[in-house]
Amino acid sequence: MKKVAKNKFSQLWNSINKDYELFLPIEKDGKVNFSLWKDEDKINLDAIKTNVSPKNIIFPQSETYLKFKTDGKKLSLENVGGKKEEYVLFGVRPCDAVSFNLIDNVFLREPIDRFYEERRNKGTVVSMACLEPEETCFCSSFGIEPETAPKGVDVFTWDIGQTILWEAQTEKGNILTEKLGDIFEEVTEQDINELEKLKHSIKDKVSSLPLSDVDPKKIDGDLKDIFESEVWDEISKSCLGCGSCTYVCPTCHCYDIQDFDGGKCGERFRCWDSCMFSDFTRMAHGNPRTSQKERFRQRFMHKLVYYPNNHQVYACVGCGRCIEKCPVNMNIVKVIKKLGGEK
Amino acid sequence: MEKITVKVRETARQAFSSGEVDKILGFAKGDFWQDSYPIFITNENEVDSLIWDSFCINNLSKYLIKELKNTQKIGVFLKGCDSLAFNQLLQDNRIEADRVVIYGVPCVGMIDAEKVKKEGLNKGLLEVKRSGDEISFVTKDGDKNVSGRQFDYDKCLECNHPNPVVYKELMRDEVSREVNKEERFKDVEEIEAMSAEERFSYWSQQFSKCIRCNACRNICPACSCETCVFDNAAAGVSDKAKVDSEDQFFHIIRAYHVAGRCVNCGECSRVCPAGIPLHKLNHKIIKDINELYGEYEAGLDPSKGAPLVTYKLEDIDPFEGHKGGK
Repeated sequence: MKKVAKNKFSQLWNSINKDYELFLPIEKDGKVNFSLWKDEDKINLDAIKTNVSPKNIIFPQSETYLKFKTDGKKLSLENVGGKKEEYVLFGVRPCDAVSFNLIDNVFLREPIDRFYEERRNKGTVVSMACLEPEETCFCSSFGIEPETAPKGVDVFTWDIGQTILWEAQTEKGNILTEKLGDIFEEVTEQDINELEKLKHSIKDKVSSLPLSDVDPKKIDGDLKDIFESEVWDEISKSCLGCGSCTYVCPTCHCYDIQDFDGGKCGERFRCWDSCMFSDFTRMAHGNPRTSQKERFRQRFMHKLVYYPNNHQVYACVGCGRCIEKCPVNMNIVKVIKKLGGEK
Repeated sequence: MEKITVKVRETARQAFSSGEVDKILGFAKGDFWQDSYPIFITNENEVDSLIWDSFCINNLSKYLIKELKNTQKIGVFLKGCDSLAFNQLLQDNRIEADRVVIYGVPCVGMIDAEKVKKEGLNKGLLEVKRSGDEISFVTKDGDKNVSGRQFDYDKCLECNHPNPVVYKELMRDEVSREVNKEERFKDVEEIEAMSAEERFSYWSQQFSKCIRCNACRNICPACSCETCVFDNAAAGVSDKAKVDSEDQFFHIIRAYHVAGRCVNCGECSRVCPAGIPLHKLNHKIIKDINELYGEYEAGLDPSKGAPLVTYKLEDIDPFEGHKGGK
């Protein structure tokens, strides 16, 4: 474990920026989001939740795969997807870091999504402990401990006041640490004591959060019974069918593939899609889910039943963004409670 | 329990027992102080889940389009802004007036949870009570009382219609709110004062934040098409790519499509997860309509012809009046 003083942050960003593209939580017009760092940007490492999740860095909202052009009878294709530059994604919270693993489960199993794989391989993820979890946080319901490094992150850091403690977790993390060289200082016994105190304090805060008792395991019936439950009618009624929840969610990963039709040239691109939309998975015969109830049910069955059946882990990390963003205050916590038998 | 909640429940109970309605659209309270959410109830036993407080921000009138398809008679709780939207839906022939009973709720303004959070008052907050402009933040360690409108949504501070403009009965006495008419289009004037390049760059930056979630469209009471052109695959303008041209196309088409029908409820900006001030687009169009065709408020009087769909010989040529926006 090493440490870096906060007054060296500017040096830290510049050093990282030499060998990598650097993505940081940047504040703009009062909202914090991960984006490519430029010198004049206002960095905000204190915001617990970025406005939308950082999944767009590993899984862009739109990504062109292919450009095509016809010239007479000749068709030329150009492969343009993927990520060529090495990058560092700095300041990812544990819940969001775990969401990357959940998306990996889908895209990195056979048949592997090569563009996604490339993007993941090029990235070094530096995660940060959550000093002040928010009232809408419920990561502990999914076994996430925001004071410790989750599996898969390359470096984990803790903010102990004037300095941050830095611990590489993987080979990629070691390489980054080595490259940054003498920006680091060795940690002292006092730092370690501070760290222990901090971990305890985070644990206490997490256990007293208002949603700490949310328990997805209470949804334990037969798949068919859950699917047919009357609860869906009641809780889906107010759903507007927008994609706010889907697009701020760190774990939603459904996409569509479409073409820009430019006549003699065009582009084939992948873009995020939402099961809440009426044209989602539309096929020649129409849409398989014709009512908002069915679409709403799909989103939560996927996160709480289907995905866990396939991967033995829930597809929610309890970041709570959907709680804050849903225009009608319907969200996964209400769904878990209702399906789990609460009145 | 707030007095108004008692009245709301009483009214709903009465409505079911007299057979006045088959369904009621109202609000229930969730886990959090700011969590007041729409519920639709169909019998007297559910009446006690209804509430009314300073977070009943949603406009329930748009739900009438869908709910009237499966229910004969519906009761709905509407604020002033919501009632304008109700009238507009009537004018757009999207609902039938005689199948709806409006319980009007005069409103002093709704509280913006973001503003509460910004002041750090959300920590350990259990409940927010409001009486006029006296606000009480209830925590387990005691209450904090604040006087004033600093926590109201921005849009509520500019509200012209705190009292419903159409209703069967009111849930409390009418309220009065002072609005500075001079400042009414200040936000638009700031943008109009920009050069064309500055304006383009301002809106390009705003639209580039869009995440294409459609929340603005789906919450909008003026967006009531059976199938939106952006959902119609056959139209060939599906809007799924996250590129500037499509972001801009979507928002400008939408602004023009609701022109003259937007009731200025500000819900588009409230629900935008990216924080785009979408209402300013509509606000600009309202200002232009007022300047070109005389004062007009969509939803105020459904019998009055809407300027953009009523042709008069003496109508001004907008390109003379406004020089095409230049």
